[in-house]
Amino acid sequence: MNPLKGMNRLKDVNETNEFNLSRRQLLKSMGVVGGGLVVGISLTGCGSDSPLPIDTAANGYLPNAFLQITSDNSFVFYCPRDEMGQGITTGLATLFAEELDVAPQRFEVKFPGVHPAYNNPAFGAQGTGGSASIRAHYEPLRQAAANLRSVLIQAAAADLGVAPDAINLDDAHVVVNGQRHPFGQFIETAKTLPMPTEDNPAPLKAASDFKYIGKEFPRLDGVAKSTGTAVFGIDVELPNMHYAAIKHSPVIGSTVASVNKTKAENMPGVTDIVTISSGVAIVAEKFWQAKKAAEQLEIKWNTSELANLSTEQLKQDFKQMLDSDEGVASDESGDVAAEFASKELAINSEYWAPMLSHSPLEPMSAVARVENGKAEVWSGTQGVQPIRGLVARALDMTFDQVSIHNTYCGGGFGRRSYVSHCIEAAEIAAATSKPIHLLWSREDDTRSGVFRPASLMRIKATMDEQGTVTGWQAKRAGGNIMPQRLSTGLPGVLPTAVPKGLINTAVNVADSVFENWIPDPTSVEGLSSDYDFPNKETLHATINHGLPLHFWRSVGHSFTAFAKESAIDELAHKAGMDVVDFRLKNSQQQPRINNVIKIAGDQMKQMQTKPGHHLGFAAHSSFESHVAQVAEVSVEDGRIHVHKVVCVVDCGRVINPDIVRAQMEGSIMYGLTATIHGNLQLKNGGIKESNFHDYPILRMNEAPNVEVIIVDSEEAPTGVGEPGLPPIAPAVANAVFAATGQRLRSLPLTI
Amino acid sequence: MITFTLNGQTVETDDAPDTPLLWVVRDTFKLKGSKFGCGAGLCGACTMHLDGQAVRTCILPVSAVAGKSITTIEGLGTPEDMHPLQAAWSEQSVPQCGYCQSGQIMSAAALLEHNANPSEEEVERHMAGNICRCGCYPRIKKAILSVAEQNSGNELFHEVRAEEAQS
Repeated sequence: MNPLKGMNRLKDVNETNEFNLSRRQLLKSMGVVGGGLVVGISLTGCGSDSPLPIDTAANGYLPNAFLQITSDNSFVFYCPRDEMGQGITTGLATLFAEELDVAPQRFEVKFPGVHPAYNNPAFGAQGTGGSASIRAHYEPLRQAAANLRSVLIQAAAADLGVAPDAINLDDAHVVVNGQRHPFGQFIETAKTLPMPTEDNPAPLKAASDFKYIGKEFPRLDGVAKSTGTAVFGIDVELPNMHYAAIKHSPVIGSTVASVNKTKAENMPGVTDIVTISSGVAIVAEKFWQAKKAAEQLEIKWNTSELANLSTEQLKQDFKQMLDSDEGVASDESGDVAAEFASKELAINSEYWAPMLSHSPLEPMSAVARVENGKAEVWSGTQGVQPIRGLVARALDMTFDQVSIHNTYCGGGFGRRSYVSHCIEAAEIAAATSKPIHLLWSREDDTRSGVFRPASLMRIKATMDEQGTVTGWQAKRAGGNIMPQRLSTGLPGVLPTAVPKGLINTAVNVADSVFENWIPDPTSVEGLSSDYDFPNKETLHATINHGLPLHFWRSVGHSFTAFAKESAIDELAHKAGMDVVDFRLKNSQQQPRINNVIKIAGDQMKQMQTKPGHHLGFAAHSSFESHVAQVAEVSVEDGRIHVHKVVCVVDCGRVINPDIVRAQMEGSIMYGLTATIHGNLQLKNGGIKESNFHDYPILRMNEAPNVEVIIVDSEEAPTGVGEPGLPPIAPAVANAVFAATGQRLRSLPLTI
Repeated sequence: MITFTLNGQTVETDDAPDTPLLWVVRDTFKLKGSKFGCGAGLCGACTMHLDGQAVRTCILPVSAVAGKSITTIEGLGTPEDMHPLQAAWSEQSVPQCGYCQSGQIMSAAALLEHNANPSEEEVERHMAGNICRCGCYPRIKKAILSVAEQNSGNELFHEVRAEEAQS
């Protein structure tokens, strides 16, 4: 394989354009316009009249896919999105509860199986990610609840013999003349009434009437998650369940050549040893038996072509691409070439971001049962739909034969939208005819996972004497996520009748499009955003080494913000201006980011720092939200300490301020791990690091205090799970510059 | 056969003596609240109490607990009858994904057992062995300090905890 295979392609794609589609049409058909991260595919072949994959009570009232009311006035909310800690069960329950006038705490939350009724409106498929859940469901879920509300009012009016406008609703009760009647009392009548149609929907509440939206109350999953009773994928138990451990190849992409099972198969408890598509699985009565026996397996691998790949090689190849004329342009304005010809460059800086592991604390796990012509899989996942399709394909079944059950996710961060472990569990269950609980080790998780792509970025800029940035060219070299997402995701969402060959063709087209025509949005998103740059150009040079790359919390923004906000800081210092004033001056046409910069800047000016502590600033928009952060940092004994972070966020209307704060805090901590520790290194085609001793995660003694300021807004709600992450690395790097005069352009930051 | 006390009940197991306690508790006694995170004593998700001390059970062979007393998150409190830390955790919305929280709470409970009124630095030092990948650290710290504050001067609490520690 030639890692530089894109080198000789023509930059002017119009000359090689074989496709009769506009850029935008093609992007739109692939669901990647507007920041969508999961590819939207219409669900031909999966009728929406199929039964809902949920448990219901015998006489319960199921007015829509999301709620069941029973006669004893209890409520089950079938949450269409997956809970990985971001608080979405609480958030979506709040949306529904608001319009129905039921306290969200009354809802028992369950996760449904695969059904188009639970599609993510942002993706047209059933998956969770892209910080899209609240913004995508904000209106549809409220509308479903408002329609139900109107039916309940009519039912109560009929049953109680009063006019509908004599009825008030209050926390799951119909109130007439001061008398409270539980909703459950009216469900039999409600069942006979028609639901308002799309053409004539029930009115939504005015924001001024909100009782739950915008209010703070504890998360609905707090008690379960504080008492050890919340069920994660790893906790699922089935009768006669056996446990599997797995050996993956040390060199990424290698396949099994031969297995010597002799030692392992005689170990206590071992029942089966099976070679599957991704490695060798060992099955035992107990997990510890499987784990110990796995160490005794002797496997020979057909080593893949990545065997000589190292991080140094990646860097070298990326650098070569940056130095070349190679690059597909996007996000352009003005005339950068003319601008650069007329002025001396103010900066010409290069920024490195390494590969990273997601390292959710629950390693990948899945439980599978394959019997009587049916397959079932249980796992904590960011998308049940692709699992169903992929299991169906792996076991040569139809969609109808496969059921997927979701649980809480022990951390997601994008990792749990990649589901190879679920396919592995199904393959092992099919091969052994036993219910299988597959659990990866931490070492598997670190080394055999999908990774945040490494990136090398170069930013060149010019400015005038007043500190206005007049020219900006940002170029990134690295691999693309989207073609891989298509390659692993399309077979999961397309009907099994669509053959793999056709999908491969589509994937190859996408691969080529992103390499030659338009950049993969996840490779450059945010690299040139947020400022007024009159002449700008964003270039991307794809270099495909064949590594398994995937969405990692905030995706492209996780590295582009580091380059962009470090470069802006360099320009501010070069201009001799205050770093906040400089940003304000250059973002006057971007009112929402300008506003958070201003608020955070005012905070920065008021911060009392201890001697030896220094402040750094950064701002970045992602997932339609706008965030600015101030980091208070000291450098002692060659180590970077982050003491405090002030975070200002504009995410439109807030559903639950406490959850927004929690997500900002968590994103900052997740981003700080990447800022001061995260470095996943390739050596001889494998990952060097293995567990938390050599891939450290931020710990409490390293965690800063965080103060979150939420901008009061009546705009539509925007992303919350990811936008808090991108600014933290540059804010800390900029503070280190303030502290030491050293400009660190490589992550993780080391002095 | 290895015999030990699990949440106040005497139990026995014929799991191999080198089996880490975590797997005996999870797979043999079906208590799923304690979690597997690293298998190397590095993350604290598996933390239980061994005679009142916080221990990492993913690397503790079950043979080492013969005749001893083990408490898991299920033994600390239940949804209906929560330990003050569990109540603080849920009221203050400490958990995000929640996977590490059993271990966090068990570590925190052991800390307060021995030091009812720890300083912020003592909390940080004691809790540094527990990883939270969601980054709930500011809330974990705050919840522990709020329970410590609520208990300081509460004689009944100290008596009850002392009795529990002895039993």
